[in-house]
Amino acid sequence: MADLGNILLYFLFPISVFTTLTAIAAGISKRKGLYLAAQRGAYATMGVTTLSVITLIYLLVTSDFSIEYVASNTNQALPLFYKIVALWAGHNGSLLLWTWIITIFIAIVAFQNRHKNNDLMPYVLATIAGTITFFAVLNIFIANPFDTLYMDLGDKLQEYTVPDGRGLNPLLQHPAMIIHPPILFIGYVGSVVPFAFAIAALLTGKLGSGWIRSVRRWALTTWGFLSAGIILGGKWAYVELGWGGYWAWDPVENASLLPWLTATAYLHSVMIQERKGMLKVWNMTLVIATYLLSVFGTFLTRSGIVSSVHAFANSGLGPLFAIFLTSSAIFSLALLLYRKKDLKAEQEMQSLVSRESGFLFNNLLFLLATIAVLWGTLFPVISELVTGDQITVGPPWFNNIMIPIGLALLLLTGVGPLLAWRHTSLESMKKSFGIPILSSILFTVVLFALGVRDGWALGSFAISFFVLWTIVVEFVKGAQVRRKNSGENYLKALYMLSRKNTRRYGGYIIHIGMVVLFVGFTGNAFNSETRAEVDEGDVFSLGPYEFTVQEIRHEENDNYSAEALVLNMTKNGRLISTLEPEKRYYFASEQPSTEVDIHSTFREDVYVVLSGMSNDGERVIVQVYRNPFVKLVWIGAFVLVFGTLFAMVPNLRETKGGNR
Amino acid sequence: MNKRNQFTIGIVVIVVAVIVLAIQGMQEDETMSYSKTVSEVRLLDDKARSVNLKVSGDLKKGSIIRNNMDLDFVITEGGEELEIHYIGKDPIPDTFNNEMDAEVVVSGRLQADGVFNAERIQAKCASKYEADYSSMKTD
Repeated sequence: MADLGNILLYFLFPISVFTTLTAIAAGISKRKGLYLAAQRGAYATMGVTTLSVITLIYLLVTSDFSIEYVASNTNQALPLFYKIVALWAGHNGSLLLWTWIITIFIAIVAFQNRHKNNDLMPYVLATIAGTITFFAVLNIFIANPFDTLYMDLGDKLQEYTVPDGRGLNPLLQHPAMIIHPPILFIGYVGSVVPFAFAIAALLTGKLGSGWIRSVRRWALTTWGFLSAGIILGGKWAYVELGWGGYWAWDPVENASLLPWLTATAYLHSVMIQERKGMLKVWNMTLVIATYLLSVFGTFLTRSGIVSSVHAFANSGLGPLFAIFLTSSAIFSLALLLYRKKDLKAEQEMQSLVSRESGFLFNNLLFLLATIAVLWGTLFPVISELVTGDQITVGPPWFNNIMIPIGLALLLLTGVGPLLAWRHTSLESMKKSFGIPILSSILFTVVLFALGVRDGWALGSFAISFFVLWTIVVEFVKGAQVRRKNSGENYLKALYMLSRKNTRRYGGYIIHIGMVVLFVGFTGNAFNSETRAEVDEGDVFSLGPYEFTVQEIRHEENDNYSAEALVLNMTKNGRLISTLEPEKRYYFASEQPSTEVDIHSTFREDVYVVLSGMSNDGERVIVQVYRNPFVKLVWIGAFVLVFGTLFAMVPNLRETKGGNR
Repeated sequence: MNKRNQFTIGIVVIVVAVIVLAIQGMQEDETMSYSKTVSEVRLLDDKARSVNLKVSGDLKKGSIIRNNMDLDFVITEGGEELEIHYIGKDPIPDTFNNEMDAEVVVSGRLQADGVFNAERIQAKCASKYEADYSSMKTD
């Protein structure tokens, strides 16, 4: 079976090379036959990779421990579900998942465009197939999941098998971790499609709005997946890593944020190009940067150039990735420079106070955020090159710079959509912003009176309130106008309004999600914690809560043994919740694992960790965190994903000439 | 003032503000830490006590001593040892215990008595996964 999987994987290499070359030939010669051949090649890459993945899943499920990957990531006692998802638990398997997703994407793109974009498509296929070739080489020759276990006996290599595998890393045995990699990968890999269209547009000189229209859905879809993937990663860290937080500016987290920043910038600035024919070079740059940063993220996770808790061990892929990344960057930038004169803006900026200008500053802030995160992430590498000392910048540095940028962007979220194109007069500014500004000032004063003293938090709440207000007004005003004209009831008017311009109102919903997320982030300003060494019957407190240790017990089953703590949480003598944090020890992997317990409400999370036993083993050390508003982070993410989906619903057209 | 200048000024103000934030952030001792190994720490002069260090080494097996909330242990590298006193608040990582080989990175400051006060401990389990088998290839 392993041989079959391996042969299928080996086939991917010639097929992707064939597809790349015939696609290029089809682009140059414009011969239909060659293009059809390239199309079939694209489908075939998906075919062989899918079969190869199925083979690997079969090996995982049947526990074939002669395969290194299976032995390293699963064991007999592992539940079937986890045996299947072990496909992306290790380095080689997750790289295969990556390759699989990109082959699925090339097949979808080939099918979607089989009757259109005939000029661009050969080069689109060539670009994606070229990328597949690179990943095929990595998957076959360097990180092959079908490698068997063998020993070097000097004169020959002896294959062998082990009775049971190492098991799945306990940290990965969590639902969020199971769906997090595929979702994040779809977000990363998806950036190749807009990139391929941009390259095709540059190569063919067909730089009009055609390529932009073709990638609109792709850009939005992958952005949605990337957003969801990042937040799920945070959720996993929060629940599994047991340090009470969800984001630490770790290099691997930053790696996923970087393409998100440029992709978000693109989704905004592309609107100016569609509307005004401006910023064409810039949009190309953003599409290219998003793709390069996605590949860079993969490189960072797998090369070991920066140390991270999430990163895979140094896997020997580094140099190849560096070459691929550099050559892709040079190729696309050269192409961009070559076409620069054809990408001239059709208009100039008219006024500092206009929608265009709002987008411009939005993009400037996203660009600066990208540079800052990149700089901070790579600072250990840069400083070692320059001074010889490896210097790491910690989370405070990132917060110091990213909080102001984040709040400025949030403010623009409220201001931008209300600015008119070309120029906004002072009168209309007063009209749109007067009441929202006054009410958010009032809101801030109330918060201050209630005892909120943290400056950044006050600023964040004030801006959030302002943005929410302006968005709600947009919905209400629009619905009122519709109701007057059509006589529909309020809810119907609201629904019809949004359905008729899903992109705009979906965008507003995403903005609401961002506000909710920011309020959640701001909760961090009010975190508190305590630590205690306790025995049964002991009592300790944090804020208004009292914790009573009911029981310390030892549990054991096939998979792990555990120390568990039963803690009663009361407030003013009333029982709120019983929390049971555990410290587990997994037998197969010989790994300990902390299982936190969280009492989660809208107001705050009470997060309890059993952080260790005292030396005599009699008492346990327990750590309790109060984290306000964390739930809003997860809720904000849901709203954001819903908004993204909504924005992709086609606009409703009305037959009896509705107003636009 | 013409339009072009207005934009230029707006952009310059924002860019300068961000650069100032970046530089200001780097001035604060708390945010910057120098990565060193145990043997490198031994070679540092007194100045090294005024900066944050991230010291990496291997946990000396059996060296972890817990006393109430205190935690002391020793890390080794290149034949040198460094005594660590944990003063941080976060729970210590799962992979950090007396039974396992662990590669440890501690962040904190070196004290005058040569003991290292760690505020944060990161432990990497010594390639329990994957690498364990691949290393057999070359044995």
